[in-house]
Amino acid sequence: MSTFIQKCDLLKFPHYNALCRHVAPMGSTAKEEMDKFWSKNTRLNRPVSPHVTIYKWSVPMMMSITHRGTGIALSGAISAFAVAALVLPGNYSYYLDLIHSLSVGPYLIGLAKFGIAFPLSYHTYNGIRHLCWDIGKGFKIPDVYRTGYIVLGLSIITSLALVVM
Amino acid sequence: MAAIVRLSSMCRRGVKPLFYQSPLLSRPVAALQRDHEQQHLPTARIHSSQALHGSDAKAASRHWTAERVLSVVLLAMGPVAYFSPGPVVDYSLAAALTLHGHWGLGQVLTDYVHGETKVKIASAGLFVLSTVTFAGLCYFNYNDVGICKAVALLWSK
Repeated sequence: MSTFIQKCDLLKFPHYNALCRHVAPMGSTAKEEMDKFWSKNTRLNRPVSPHVTIYKWSVPMMMSITHRGTGIALSGAISAFAVAALVLPGNYSYYLDLIHSLSVGPYLIGLAKFGIAFPLSYHTYNGIRHLCWDIGKGFKIPDVYRTGYIVLGLSIITSLALVVM
Repeated sequence: MAAIVRLSSMCRRGVKPLFYQSPLLSRPVAALQRDHEQQHLPTARIHSSQALHGSDAKAASRHWTAERVLSVVLLAMGPVAYFSPGPVVDYSLAAALTLHGHWGLGQVLTDYVHGETKVKIASAGLFVLSTVTFAGLCYFNYNDVGICKAVALLWSK
């Protein structure tokens, strides 16, 4: 591993002068460094510092993990449906009639429909919000909150509309 | 022993030290005696290992772009599935949904699973899950009513 230490051009920027005067290449990739970190700390059985349990939750944080959660849930539902299609005897109409015959009642049916519609709507609208970030738009904090509330509002409205459809 | 060294010659192509913008001028490497007095000064350590070559270099970047393209395609499929349901849309939806889910869960894995063996096992499990999901959806499209009709029937109740 080479250990050249040389003065770096950063010195001409006054505020970086204090940060570093020299640049030394490490000879390992970022991935290797991360793997080293994890293997060392799991080997020593070190606990992870509290993070999500102590940091004050914000709306953007909650929306982000909800986007992930709805994504996992939707994916899980699709996979469950696919496995059921492969494994269960009888066809789709048979099972639909089975559910019909349970005569669950309109409110529970509405609730179930909302339970399907909301994750789908939320994930879709927030996905569009993500795509806007990907083209570089909407990063200012007030915009993050504004677009976040728009996504939440649209999701609820769309879900309700789908339920009564 | 002094020598002319460019930072870029020690670093492989593609390394950009944080904050560093301007092209580096050739500088003499610190002579041996100067090295000692500079050891204690803060040193920025940078990653300068062998960069990926050829097609590998842009693989991750292209994957990222492909993920976004697929997301847009999936978005467009919503209205298409609503206004013109049929087998073509059914199979396209099966493919797009499964792939979008596969890549999405792949990112979740990358974030939360650490350690070489665990990553390998989890990735293999994900691959099996996605394959079975796609197979199941295609089976449903072929032998049953198909995705679009299934949603319509489910919602009509």
